[in-house]
Amino acid sequence: MFLAWHEIKREKVRYGLVIAMIVLISYLLFMLVGLMDGLKNENTAAIEEWRTETVWLNKGSNDRLAESVLTYQQVASLPQTDHFSLIGDQPVKMELDRQHHRHAQTLQFIGLNSTEFIAQKRVMLTSGHQVRNSQQLVLDNSLKQKGYRLGDWVVLNGGTKKFRIVGFARNAKINISPVAYGTLKAWQQLRGGNFAASAVISDRKSHDSGYELKRYSVQQFINKLPGYTAQNATLQLMIAFLLVISLVVIAVFLYILTMQKKQQYALLRAQGIPAKTLVMATISQSLLLIITGLVISTGLTVLTVHLLPAGVPIMFKINNMILMGIGMVAIGVLGALVPALMIVRIDPLDALK
Amino acid sequence: MKMIELDHVNKIFGNGVGRVQAIKDISFAAKSGELSLVLGPSGSGKSTFLTIAGGLQKPTSGTVKIGGIDVGSLSAKERDRLRLNKVGFVLQNYDLLPYLTVKEQFQLIQRVSSQTISQQELKKLLKELGIDQLVNKYPPQLSGGQMQRVAIARALYQKPAVILADEPTAALDSQRVQVVGKLLTNLAHQRGETVIVVTHDERLRSFADHVYQIIDGQMTMES
Repeated sequence: MFLAWHEIKREKVRYGLVIAMIVLISYLLFMLVGLMDGLKNENTAAIEEWRTETVWLNKGSNDRLAESVLTYQQVASLPQTDHFSLIGDQPVKMELDRQHHRHAQTLQFIGLNSTEFIAQKRVMLTSGHQVRNSQQLVLDNSLKQKGYRLGDWVVLNGGTKKFRIVGFARNAKINISPVAYGTLKAWQQLRGGNFAASAVISDRKSHDSGYELKRYSVQQFINKLPGYTAQNATLQLMIAFLLVISLVVIAVFLYILTMQKKQQYALLRAQGIPAKTLVMATISQSLLLIITGLVISTGLTVLTVHLLPAGVPIMFKINNMILMGIGMVAIGVLGALVPALMIVRIDPLDALK
Repeated sequence: MKMIELDHVNKIFGNGVGRVQAIKDISFAAKSGELSLVLGPSGSGKSTFLTIAGGLQKPTSGTVKIGGIDVGSLSAKERDRLRLNKVGFVLQNYDLLPYLTVKEQFQLIQRVSSQTISQQELKKLLKELGIDQLVNKYPPQLSGGQMQRVAIARALYQKPAVILADEPTAALDSQRVQVVGKLLTNLAHQRGETVIVVTHDERLRSFADHVYQIIDGQMTMES
């Protein structure tokens, strides 16, 4: 650390450039992880808020909630417990026509049975009250920023029936779309046909099966959400590539810097300074550079989050950020191993050349 | 007391048509309180002699003892430790790290060596060498002569059994050669160090207790 710190202190420009490069890479990494978590959240917020563990869809639904409809017979084929909740899912266009404010919004209408656990315990209101009849809606909190207020009247799918907004709820998003909670009866009217629901949700792990029903664990269900797996895989691939690029860039930088100091190291080795001391100096120098870079990029990321518009799907999970930080530190140590090998091989005789 | 001894040392590089014998059957000894000067032209084997005498490389045959320890029987790590604790090198390029102040050059040695002189002795040494006012300066801020004195102080800081100097007066004018020559003599005569200077600079001849010549790898002692 002694050599590492004094060299960085003395060669501010040179090491400032290395730190700047680490800042840019880790800033990009943090933003990508934030976007990945943000998009994940927009896909799964409601599912997680319901504490879903098991989902049943119609066997012929092609694994999609939007294409699943369950008959009363199918629903009745599952054992009846307090841990089951029927949901009716329907994509709708919601239109607001208040004086001086017209707005249309595409969202997922989720019809709930007021006696079941989701409606009773898992719609987390931030204002207003729960849905009490088929003319009431509870909307996702994000719609407040688009001008929707408690007491507003809206129509769905251009129909004649009006719905009143009676509450706003947090984490009411599914498959990157805000959710409007209503009653199951309202869903049946919107959907048409004589169906009981789109899916059965349970907050317990279950192996129960029912007539013509397909059971999914929550992770299987999430992975089948349209675009979810492809989107995650893309972002994960980008993050993995960025980590590999970081490793190469850090290793190359440290290698070049060590090459430039080869004669100095040979002199130190000739004096009897152990190779271990020089290797530790290189590793600690790499760690100092990485940690400084990470601290700056964390600050930049926090600043960016405050400046970004609310609509950008970005979310910072502290665990994932710490994991990425640890990843970068590990990469710094790995990157320092290449010059460390070079140091071990330095011949003290070179000092006299 | 003999601090450094070479007994029938040979050093051969390469083999077949590329075989070169850099050192030919050299026997050499240097005692405490003496300055030995090893003179020779470029390519004569001076540097090879210095590196073998300093434990930087092993001879092909013969034995080398530093402070009574047989260098040939030591591993690379043990030779590192021996150099750190017994040998003080003063190299032509001053061997100072450009990003450490004079004070920090000593701190570096203190961190890795178990045997250094006390801080009080260091202060006295720096004063003797006239560099006590330069402790917070970086090597690029020093003149060639100042750097050389710092390198000598750094070598002495390790309490070495022997000081090996490689071309310490290269690129110095005659006035500076006198200063460095006196300094090296004082190290031997007043501080009781064993000093071996390897050089092609004849101007140092008058400061030496013993003068050796190396030509084509063969060493002779001048009477």
